[in-house]
Amino acid sequence: MKRTTDKKPESFSPEDRQMKTYSLVELVKAPTPMADHGPDDTIFAFPIVAIMELLLTLGVILALLLMSLAVNAPLEEIANPIITTDPAKAPWYFMGLQEMLEHGHPTLMAILMPTLMVLFVIAIPYLDHTPAGKGIWFTSKRGKRIVLFTAIYVCLAMPAYILLDTSFPIREILRGQLPDFVLNVVFPAIIMSVIVLLPLLVLLRYQPNAREVMLALFTVLFLSAIVFTLTGFLFRGPGFELYWPWNMPGDYSPWDNL
Amino acid sequence: MSKLINFITRSRVWRSFFRHGWPDNPLDRSLVMTTNIFFHLHPVKVRRKSLRATYSFGLGIISVIVFTVLSITGLLLMFYYAPTIERAYSYILTLQTRVPFGQLLRNLHRWGAHLMVIVVVLHMARVFYTGAYKPPREFNWVVGVLLLILTLGASFTGYLLPWDQLAYWAITVGTSVAGYEPIMGSAIKAALLGGPEVGQEALTRFYALHVMLIPGVIALLTSLHLWRVRKDGGLAVQDPAEEDKE
Repeated sequence: MKRTTDKKPESFSPEDRQMKTYSLVELVKAPTPMADHGPDDTIFAFPIVAIMELLLTLGVILALLLMSLAVNAPLEEIANPIITTDPAKAPWYFMGLQEMLEHGHPTLMAILMPTLMVLFVIAIPYLDHTPAGKGIWFTSKRGKRIVLFTAIYVCLAMPAYILLDTSFPIREILRGQLPDFVLNVVFPAIIMSVIVLLPLLVLLRYQPNAREVMLALFTVLFLSAIVFTLTGFLFRGPGFELYWPWNMPGDYSPWDNL
Repeated sequence: MSKLINFITRSRVWRSFFRHGWPDNPLDRSLVMTTNIFFHLHPVKVRRKSLRATYSFGLGIISVIVFTVLSITGLLLMFYYAPTIERAYSYILTLQTRVPFGQLLRNLHRWGAHLMVIVVVLHMARVFYTGAYKPPREFNWVVGVLLLILTLGASFTGYLLPWDQLAYWAITVGTSVAGYEPIMGSAIKAALLGGPEVGQEALTRFYALHVMLIPGVIALLTSLHLWRVRKDGGLAVQDPAEEDKE
């Protein structure tokens, strides 16, 4: 296209416009902000969000106030390094770790496994980055079923493991006959891996997508953590033995540890 | 009356505070959000769906509210406390028996701390099960996991401060776990406790961590977390196009 000096510089003449050509430069594979998106159903955040936050604030403060008026925070005797409490328990949210210690070598149970779990949780969005199902509880009907079955499985398998390992302590029975490493590291590692990976092996037969694998794995780990925490917090009494929470020996109550 | 209101809202003083008119129109409702520091972490417009109570259960906001309650009650508790092993326990006794509303103050802080751990964990579960970690929100998920760990840290360091048997043995048991870490374990334990066992050094360190470092980092990361929520387009909701397909 040439431009001569006698033409107006500010606009193209009609014949110039006809000479205008277009060409495809490149195809870029990337999501565009608007393509395939319907109109968003949005409203102004003010004042509705401010009102909701105010109501939530009042609700939370009311709940905390009622709880605080009803129950006093525990306070025992002054700290005494000579007299050990029985049982000596960590704060409730670490009771899962303390419960794990009962079932194998401490480095494996209280360090390695929790670290792997935290690393997995951090890695979730990088392992499953498909946009499908965003913003929907459990993604799909199939996802809901996966979570439900995995949850039932964990609530049976983990307490069973804790009970079996306590009442039939194979690690104690075989002590001396097998090396300590095998009994306290290899055995628990294999058992734990089998319990955690079993639902995944079942799921793999149904050709799951990344999101469904995450749903199963996260549910196993999350609920296992809850089972172990509750066991340690509610069901462990003096001598760190298993009891029913309402039937603890002596005047010990697990709730006093809050 | 309306003359008085007009006089106040048109005055130089009022207009130096508020840079928007009465928020009954789109422009002023936008300006409320963008010109107010407390609101500016919110988007100007939100999706109707993201406000549904059964979608998010408000767990993220509840965490912020409980954290604020804990900051305020914690600050008040600091007025009646000193982290020395000789006096910490008697300060708690004095607080509970002599200070007006002292026991209530301590209860609020204690139960608030437990509530925050529960709410933050539930918040993580909610975000996971609704798939809200998916792009572009990957990084914000990571920030969230860090915030959960910091919440546990804040609660754990606070647990020692009353210096009673419960606190002492819980921290002794809790920190002994760190010692099982084969490479850095004993170093981490020594850094936390400042000595071979829980004593004055540990109390000093836990106090500093509990009242300064951890809440400071939580406040910083929470700001980042909320700001990223806005930058990534608010709460993750289903694309309208995908919904049509169903």
